[in-house]
Amino acid sequence: MSKRRSSPGSSRRNFLKGAGLVGAAAAVTPPVAGNAMPAVPADKLKAAIPGPRQVAAETMPPGSDPVNQTSSGGDYMTDVLNSLGVEYMTINCASSYRGLHEAIVNHGNNKPEIITCVHEDIAVHMAQGYAKIEGKPIAMACHGVVGLQHATMAMYNAWCDRVPVIVFGGNIMEADKRAPGAEWLHAGVDIGQIVREFTKWDDQPASLQHFGESLVRAYKIATTPPMGPVFIALDAELQENPIPNPAALRIPKFAPVVPPQGDSGAIAEAAKLLVAAQNPVILCDRVARTPAGMANLVALAETLQCAVIDNAGRMNFPSRHPLNQSFRRGIIGQADVILAIEMNDLWGSLTRFSDRIERRSGPAYKPGTKIITLGVRDLYLKSNYQDFGRWQDVDLDIAGDGEASLPALTEAVKRLVDEGRKAAFDERGQKLAKAHLAMVEQSKIDATIGWDSSPITTARMCAEVYNQIKDEDWSLVGTSIRLSWMHRLWNIKKPYQWNGGSGGAGVGYNLPASLGAALANKKHGRFTVAFGGDGDFMFGPGTLWTAAHHKIPMLYIVHNNRAYHQEYMYLVAMAARHGRGVEKMDIGTTIKDPNIDYATVARGMGVHGEGPITDPKDLAPALSRAVAAVKAGETAVVDVVTDPR
Amino acid sequence: MNRCKRIAVTVLAVTAMGLGATGLASAQDAPKGDAANGKTIFLRDGCFTCHGRSGQGGAYNGPAPILAHTALPFDGFKGQIRNPANDMPAYSDAVLSDKEIADIYAFVQTLPGAGSPKDHPILNN
Repeated sequence: MSKRRSSPGSSRRNFLKGAGLVGAAAAVTPPVAGNAMPAVPADKLKAAIPGPRQVAAETMPPGSDPVNQTSSGGDYMTDVLNSLGVEYMTINCASSYRGLHEAIVNHGNNKPEIITCVHEDIAVHMAQGYAKIEGKPIAMACHGVVGLQHATMAMYNAWCDRVPVIVFGGNIMEADKRAPGAEWLHAGVDIGQIVREFTKWDDQPASLQHFGESLVRAYKIATTPPMGPVFIALDAELQENPIPNPAALRIPKFAPVVPPQGDSGAIAEAAKLLVAAQNPVILCDRVARTPAGMANLVALAETLQCAVIDNAGRMNFPSRHPLNQSFRRGIIGQADVILAIEMNDLWGSLTRFSDRIERRSGPAYKPGTKIITLGVRDLYLKSNYQDFGRWQDVDLDIAGDGEASLPALTEAVKRLVDEGRKAAFDERGQKLAKAHLAMVEQSKIDATIGWDSSPITTARMCAEVYNQIKDEDWSLVGTSIRLSWMHRLWNIKKPYQWNGGSGGAGVGYNLPASLGAALANKKHGRFTVAFGGDGDFMFGPGTLWTAAHHKIPMLYIVHNNRAYHQEYMYLVAMAARHGRGVEKMDIGTTIKDPNIDYATVARGMGVHGEGPITDPKDLAPALSRAVAAVKAGETAVVDVVTDPR
Repeated sequence: MNRCKRIAVTVLAVTAMGLGATGLASAQDAPKGDAANGKTIFLRDGCFTCHGRSGQGGAYNGPAPILAHTALPFDGFKGQIRNPANDMPAYSDAVLSDKEIADIYAFVQTLPGAGSPKDHPILNN
């Protein structure tokens, strides 16, 4: 039995026998006189005379403590993980799941592959970034109490981003099995409660078979749209102890849920509205779950020859598609029908809002505009955290997975298009294409302003990076707050060339999530590139050690404006509103004095470092060296000292 | 952080519309300002945080317009500072005097505006 056996003969399986012994002892031990509670009268005691086994148990010395076992619950857990095709488990090692950890390494021959992380936040964010590139979850493991508390911010990002992550937290359920000290500090009755408001499901299995069914159920729930993180508490005894009856255990069969399509009648009604519209606009955020998602959206947009505004929560629509009007949001005001697909914050996208003393808002669309929604987001909401956003009135609300429903909607549209409408669509498409081209040209013109300035403009930085990687099979997997030059200047067109943002806007996402995406890209031979702010970087610089240790190639550009710049601007606005000086608003909002040398930090973690680059003329050579390092299998960090935005 | 996602019509567009309607004075009619002092204020008092040190524009809650070599007349420029459209903070005369606004205006006039993308081949990838 495990070392946690608190006294001979007191294991769970000996519980009843122990109780019998207590009863026998009570029969022969007189109650303490005086203040003792009245006991059952002695003449009512009917204890049996101890039999040979009880006599032996009381008189024989305890048996020797077993020191070896030939199986462990962790072996079975490993087998279940592998049955689901979970490729990696990102971890920060912890004794409360040491049974599973050891089993994966030895029984599973390090399959799923352990990815060592130096913080739980990094481990979850890596899993988030991975899932958005690979289209399936990996696991993450941590201490169920102290590790899970570190992991919560990243789990919240994954929740808001609708990304599946399987999180394990070790626990020691039975109090009498906990060692003195840390095991009490690291155990809980309901350790999943701190993440329950931002996970789709959680469980604490009490047996191995229970674990098997819980994990398969968790995997299914996590990967069923709307996707999201799940949590399983792992009892240490269950992981570490021998499997009581291996022949009785089975690995449950996993069959993925086929995502639901929108009701056919509702789809037909939506098609009717869209075909009749003069200026329909498609608004989207997290449509593409698979490589088919973008193709499905392109097919609908091209059939309608309508504008698409992409909030870029996923790789929904090519950046240079003529119908992409994402940087012409004013056209929402001209729309007569808006089709909103898998939107995260529909009200926010359809509203003009002023962050003034009196916060005012009003619709950005004209009266009478018909609003259709298609998506599954609202099928699973929780109460506490308000990530569901403000209520938005709509006219037709279709519950159905966007990607899965798009082909049916496109076919329904095609059936309604006659020659007259087709001609109108073509004319509309030509106008939109012209506007798109003008927008691209204007972006290039705007990018020239301050071209040779120091600090370097963000436009110059993005243009220089693209020039270095454009001929690679690149995958852009991260950007800093409001850095949109890539989507304005780059030709982003493949399903893996963008994977969205953090979801919850929790700082600390970019660096580790980008590395997780790079881990997924590695086996495909893709060149991973990401941008991230300096503030974000400092939430998890240890990510780079993981990159070095596991030899994960990635080009990471630090958009180093030496500030938490969004907050800097907010503070300036506060000072101006209050009629006070704004010159001190760098207090508490900037990261300077001393300036952080991110290239040196990178080299200290074992990866390639370039910078700080302050002169734009030095950028191309530095990037060239960094690209070479990445192609050689390294992660490379380029610290670019930039203007704020 | 949801504030980051707000949609705002650009200040530039709103301001330009207003100017078009009222026919305000041109840049040549602006009071003479001290561009050097304007630069100091521009970098000290937070203008650069949204509009960029080169006046190239940026983003706050929504897009922050380009100010480099602005074509905005001074009165419109000042009006936007005193009573801005959208989310730009209002700068009262307790924070920025008329003279200081004139200095900032003079400074942004000195900033080179947009060039041609043809001069930067990497913009044409």
